[in-house]
Amino acid sequence: MKKTDEQISKQAKQAFDKSVDELDAATLSRLNRGRHAALAEAGRPQQAWLRWMPATGVAAAALLAIFMLQGPADIEAITAPASDLEILLGEESIEMLEDLEFYSWLDDEDLDGEGDLG
Amino acid sequence: MTTDTLDFAVSCTLKTTGARALQKERQLGEFLAEVERRALRIAEIAVRDRDEALDLVQDAMIKLVRNYSERGTEEWRPLFYRILQNGVRDWHRRQAVRNRVMVWFQKPKSDDSDYDVIAAAPDPDGRTPDEELQNSEAMQDMELAVHALPTRQREAFMLRTFEGLDVAGTALAMGCSQGSVKTHYSRAVHTLREKLGEHWQ
Repeated sequence: MKKTDEQISKQAKQAFDKSVDELDAATLSRLNRGRHAALAEAGRPQQAWLRWMPATGVAAAALLAIFMLQGPADIEAITAPASDLEILLGEESIEMLEDLEFYSWLDDEDLDGEGDLG
Repeated sequence: MTTDTLDFAVSCTLKTTGARALQKERQLGEFLAEVERRALRIAEIAVRDRDEALDLVQDAMIKLVRNYSERGTEEWRPLFYRILQNGVRDWHRRQAVRNRVMVWFQKPKSDDSDYDVIAAAPDPDGRTPDEELQNSEAMQDMELAVHALPTRQREAFMLRTFEGLDVAGTALAMGCSQGSVKTHYSRAVHTLREKLGEHWQ
């Protein structure tokens, strides 16, 4: 037989109260520390810069919107570093880095070779 | 008015203000101590994580003290739970976004990773796993059923049943009309009765 709404609420409350009573010491200690930290806020004046937070957020959002709505020239300027990154991370560049010792040697040889050729 | 009289009046005013602030702080401390454990369990049922629930309760305490300590003491309870419920809703939103992002980075779980050393450790109070299971079974059933309720129904049920707020206080805490509270609560109890009614002895 199914219980009534009132019985369900009552039984749920009993189970809930039991779980509250059985909270472990470590949890109670953390609650206690949290309460004292909160009470330490009482009477503490709010920092002035916090009052400007909403205005700063709106200004930042407006700046971002303007930045994103710029023309193609500016978009090119924004994407330029990305192109640099592509070049830096390109396969050829990695090969060049692997042969860095060879290029260094070649450079030295050229310098020496100038005398030979001349 | 002489200077001495003025000094005396200022001194009395400062003493009165200081005494009032101290009294308010004491009342806040008593209120938070009285409400914190139930608030923790309510938040824990909503987010299914004790550490997260502790953080949410502490945030709610700080916000209440910072923003509403000057309100009448009778308003603190619904205001505190309104802050807490907002915190829980924000937590769920952040969690949903995090889950969407993290699904791309998650490695498949191995069977070994399911083993929890702390869960497997013996109970410090000497209860056997069977006893522990019997004691907590009803609570677990109820927690899961309450957690599974739609958000507004869960809020209405927990605030009315667990915290004992009246309809007006619950409406203030939930930021809705008293009629909505009654509807959400009624639907919540109906669902719980369907889910738990046959299992609970």
